[in-house]
Amino acid sequence: MSGSPGTGTTGGTGAAGAVSPAITARVTGPADGLALATRGLIKSYGSRRALDGLDLSVPTGVVYGFLGPNGAGKTTTMRVLTGLIHADGGTVEMLGRPFKRGDRHRLFEVGALVESPTFYPYLSARANLRELSASGAHVAPRRIEELLDLVGLCDRANDKVQGYSMGMKQRLGIAGALLSDPKLLLLDEPANGLDPAGIVAMRDTLKALADQGKTVFVSSHLLAEIQVMADVVGIIASGKLVREGPLKDLLAMQGVVKVRVQPNRVDAAIVTLGTEFPAERLTESDRDEGWLSVRVAPDLAEAISQKLAAAGIFVSGMESGTDLEMLFLELTGGQISGEGNFVGLPASANGDASAGKGTAA
Amino acid sequence: MRLFFSGLRKLVRRPATWTTVGILIGLLVLIVLAVGAGVNGRTLRSGNANAVDPKLLVTFPGAYDRILQFTTGLGGLFALAYGAAIAGSEWSWGTFKSAVARGESRVRYMTASYVSIAVMIGFGILLTFVVGVVAAIVGANLGGVSTGGLGDSATLNDLPLRLLKGWLAVIEEGALGFAIATLARSQLAGIGAGIAFYFGEGFAAIFLPDIVKYLPFSVANASLVVAGSNTAGMFAGGASALPADQAEVLVAVWLVGALLVALLFSDRAEITG
Repeated sequence: MSGSPGTGTTGGTGAAGAVSPAITARVTGPADGLALATRGLIKSYGSRRALDGLDLSVPTGVVYGFLGPNGAGKTTTMRVLTGLIHADGGTVEMLGRPFKRGDRHRLFEVGALVESPTFYPYLSARANLRELSASGAHVAPRRIEELLDLVGLCDRANDKVQGYSMGMKQRLGIAGALLSDPKLLLLDEPANGLDPAGIVAMRDTLKALADQGKTVFVSSHLLAEIQVMADVVGIIASGKLVREGPLKDLLAMQGVVKVRVQPNRVDAAIVTLGTEFPAERLTESDRDEGWLSVRVAPDLAEAISQKLAAAGIFVSGMESGTDLEMLFLELTGGQISGEGNFVGLPASANGDASAGKGTAA
Repeated sequence: MRLFFSGLRKLVRRPATWTTVGILIGLLVLIVLAVGAGVNGRTLRSGNANAVDPKLLVTFPGAYDRILQFTTGLGGLFALAYGAAIAGSEWSWGTFKSAVARGESRVRYMTASYVSIAVMIGFGILLTFVVGVVAAIVGANLGGVSTGGLGDSATLNDLPLRLLKGWLAVIEEGALGFAIATLARSQLAGIGAGIAFYFGEGFAAIFLPDIVKYLPFSVANASLVVAGSNTAGMFAGGASALPADQAEVLVAVWLVGALLVALLFSDRAEITG
């Protein structure tokens, strides 16, 4: 990176816990060995600041999950990285070299799927890939056949794209992103429209690409998908990086034990566990009545069960593990959406005075 | 060159290409055949001094002029819509975005796109003209009109130059549609605005002829006037139209200007859609 090393991980909204040494080392070290790095990236649309000093450090040869709520700046970042828009400030380095306005040749080694896949609807999949390959880096004709085979569109390759389902278009979009056999792959919501089998196949393909030394940068809302696919994640909110690092390190700090008690004993359970854990670590589930989440290390599950049993509250179900969703919500404050967000129904709307109840006090 | 050939391949396979040229040819053939079938036994009309005798449409060598007039006149409007449709779809379908994300030069991509449009327009003009001439021969036979002037050497010698000038005028109108749709980033908005400009200019010529004669559609039509003939388009601007040689220069200016606007905008635009 030509700029100064970024500070990387920042204490974002609601960020809790210390940054692990591994993460700190990764993001404060020299940018050498990074497939993609941004430093102080700024982009405004009118008075609204979409990117506010974004620092990303994407190591080579990993699947990098790029997470954030709606309006956090994910797509803006993707657009800057693909030269569709230009940042107002900051620097980008791609594959070891600066990427500035006019450095379009750097994109010859980058494959991208930004927002929804785009094609000529009156052309077939094969013809679309052929015409797409006329732009940018040179592509060998047989590469198109290989990719049609890879994304499972061989049988429909001569059908017009206008007749394709969303999932088929998405697969064709991924094929388009892979046309130049890129070293760096930028994918915006690649799982959109894919059926479960397609998602699994896509995940396996992306992991295989990373195993080959390519870098896969995936923007997604699907936390569960990122959790099983990504090696490293970066979480942004309001245009800033709030956490970045190896997924397993981040999740290690984000244990959760979920216990199920009788719905009318939830408050009692909260009081009981409140003597042991800070109140902000206890959350009653909005969705599943009777479930209570305790954000502690998973190995404390037995102790929690014993504590509740001692108070005469018996656990009928228990889960423990780590949860990216919890981390995501914590770091992003639950929303931070620049596009607005859903809000809970007013109590009068569903007759439930407890509607929208979240963190127990 | 691969971008140019890619552009051509896309246009050849695009239904809008054949719909546009098909409608133009269909209208021309219908009119010519209807005139041919209707003029049998009639003499030249003399009652209205401004009226053009329909028989001229199937009487050679004058029929060459009339068919070229139709091809470049209505063809200009079609080219405007066609240029707008192609440029606009590059934005609204997101295919321009895909090319840019692959590292392609925006200016080169849009230039290649326009050049391929200009080539297709040239092909369309030629095809329409040839089919129109064939239809006129059929119409002449239907109407009992002699086709003796078909091989008129003076007219035939002038024909390539007239076709070339017609092509330039029509691709200038295509460039305007291309530029408008690029600015609008939408094919529908581009087509709509382009057609509105086209008819708006024709309407404004009634009140502001001395200004409108410099505007793109008027100069395109004025550039087609050939000495001794009346090969002008639909909105030629009447008596206030510029001389053909001046109009030709302005056609080139409008063409280059429209293209530069489109290229500059494409190069600078933030692609957010």
